[in-house]
Amino acid sequence: MSELSPLPPLNRSGHVGHCKRFLNGLPAGAIESDASRVAIGFYCLGSLDLLGLLETKTKPEERESWAAWIWEQQIACKYGTGFKGSSYMTIDIHAPLPGEYAEYDTPNLIMTYTSILSLAILRDDLSKLDKRGLVQFIRSCQREDGSFSALPNGGEADLRCVYCAFAISSMLDDWSGIDLDRAVAYIRRCEDYEGGYGQQPAGEALGGTTYCALASLKLAPPSAVGQPPVEPKHRDRTIHWLLHCQSADGGFSGRTNKISDACYCFWCGASLAILGAGDLVDSAALAVFLSQCQFNFGGVAKAPDARPDPYHTYMALAATAVLPPPNADESWSLPKLDMLWNSTKETAMWLRKHVTEKA
Amino acid sequence: MSHVESDEDTGPLLFCERPDWTDVTPIPQYEGVSNPIAPIFYTPEYKDATDYFRGIVKTGETSERVLELTEEIIKMNPAHYSAWQYRYRTLLALNAPLHSELRLMDDFAVNNMKTYQVWHHRRLLITHLTAGSVPAADPFDTAQAELEFIARVLDVDTKNYHTWSYRQWLLAHFDDPALWLGELPYVDDLLQEDVRNNSAWHHRYFVVFGRGSRAQATPAEGAEVSQRETRYVKGKIALAPNNASAWNYLRGILEFAKTPFSSQAEFAQPYTVRRAPWDDDDVIDLDNPKPSSDADLPSVSAMDFLAEAYGRDGGESVTKAVDLWKALANQHDTMRKKYWDFRIKEALEMKKD
Repeated sequence: MSELSPLPPLNRSGHVGHCKRFLNGLPAGAIESDASRVAIGFYCLGSLDLLGLLETKTKPEERESWAAWIWEQQIACKYGTGFKGSSYMTIDIHAPLPGEYAEYDTPNLIMTYTSILSLAILRDDLSKLDKRGLVQFIRSCQREDGSFSALPNGGEADLRCVYCAFAISSMLDDWSGIDLDRAVAYIRRCEDYEGGYGQQPAGEALGGTTYCALASLKLAPPSAVGQPPVEPKHRDRTIHWLLHCQSADGGFSGRTNKISDACYCFWCGASLAILGAGDLVDSAALAVFLSQCQFNFGGVAKAPDARPDPYHTYMALAATAVLPPPNADESWSLPKLDMLWNSTKETAMWLRKHVTEKA
Repeated sequence: MSHVESDEDTGPLLFCERPDWTDVTPIPQYEGVSNPIAPIFYTPEYKDATDYFRGIVKTGETSERVLELTEEIIKMNPAHYSAWQYRYRTLLALNAPLHSELRLMDDFAVNNMKTYQVWHHRRLLITHLTAGSVPAADPFDTAQAELEFIARVLDVDTKNYHTWSYRQWLLAHFDDPALWLGELPYVDDLLQEDVRNNSAWHHRYFVVFGRGSRAQATPAEGAEVSQRETRYVKGKIALAPNNASAWNYLRGILEFAKTPFSSQAEFAQPYTVRRAPWDDDDVIDLDNPKPSSDADLPSVSAMDFLAEAYGRDGGESVTKAVDLWKALANQHDTMRKKYWDFRIKEALEMKKD
């Protein structure tokens, strides 16, 4: 793009402040996040990790305490072991749950994925991870049609949960919790005529779930998906659609004819990178859009002039790490990202060493 | 929604203040480590209601008042999925009239249409109401009423993803030809309102070529259907030549019917050039509607489409594709310059081989 406005610096200290505020507490207006506080923690810790400031801007005792809190969310039940999104239904972690109570206080697949990543970011040694229980839990979340639901005993099933099941299985290097044939067939049924993948079969092409589909296919054992995991004809069409999600303002929208949103800069950008087409993105324009989504007092919003939140802050930083702008100043330089697990390479290495390679 | 008013009219009474709740022991949320992640400063109302909810779940009570309690909770936190789950269980245990539950949830859905649980709850209710050999409600009437309700929600936000997913689930679940029949006129209305509504285009594909086609078309009608759709989308492109949704739909039809893109080259071509003022011939070709005189041309989507058509034809046509890609890369779509340059390189390499 020729008429680019100059790129302002990435407001690193502002974003650190934003994330630390959210880690320390949320106002009553955030009650809707009550059941998914682990996810908020992941966005905040992930942002600090990407900025390389977790160790210097937080105290060791804070990090220990956060990890201890996440471990309190690990729960074993008849469906296996996983993590809950918070203690919102917890009554006593030391006593067995009465009667049917456990049915309403089960682990959650999405929260399990974000918990494991958060613990790795906090450099916990993950020795308390109940790997066998996790595999059982994953198994109990798979539905008849191959999809996964976040909860083992009901709730909506879609590609987001499929991705979490694949990501955790690859972290454990144990795929026995997944009926891969059915899961892969489900993923392929989600591809729509535009080239993107919908949230469920026959759904409208959407940036977030396109990432979930592509990352899952790439994480899966090659024998289960064939090589290449996405056939060239499909790949070409998906790349075409993804690249056209980049709008004139430099940002990506999640669907055709929608407006740009900072989170889709990651979902679409990382999808392209997974397909080996990240270098085709106008990353200079992308960074300009993201810089405009920065809030004056820290944090990144979904669009310019919107309110910032940890989710969009993390996604904007992750997008920048995957598709760094050319010739930008030092503030924009971020560590490399493991695109498939969605963590820094260093955190992914920690996870590999402490979980994947540990029998 | 119902609630108990206090005397001073300062809002509803807390559950701990209500005489009819004294037999329930509230259970506070477990407080573990001293410095948890993202603790929420609860309102007194939320803390009170969830304390009582944990107490209720512990005893396993499923009574009328549990409906009141869970309603209060999901009003404050529509993403409280345990409250939704327990509410559903209670409704079934009480053999409660699920029609009233649906009506209660109508406004709630409009105000919380981005919450997963809202739509999942409806799915459960509708499925239960119409299941079995002697269903509690007539499946067709229920589905028909539900389609009308969904239309009202989409009226508020015509692109809401959850609402569209729910509509598509409903149609596939009941899979009644008479239900599918109303979908094309509905989509047509939406596209007349906003021709760039990609959700509506996607729904059209779902109805015509996707799940809906099973209930409708025989193979013989197939060719007729794709011709009808091609005519339809070309008419919409003539109205708004830079509408990526419509061009993607055209691509979708052609891929589905295994028809080469170049079959539409004659249609696309006038959209790829700046319109000449003397080009105003009176010949109206109904199969290939021309852009209107005030159209913003050339259309990037049209150039992209035509280049794709030429590129796929191969041979000498590749040169024409390359010319279009060059124009996109250097003049009309410079943001995707790297992509168009890549397409040129790829096409020329293929030609060499």
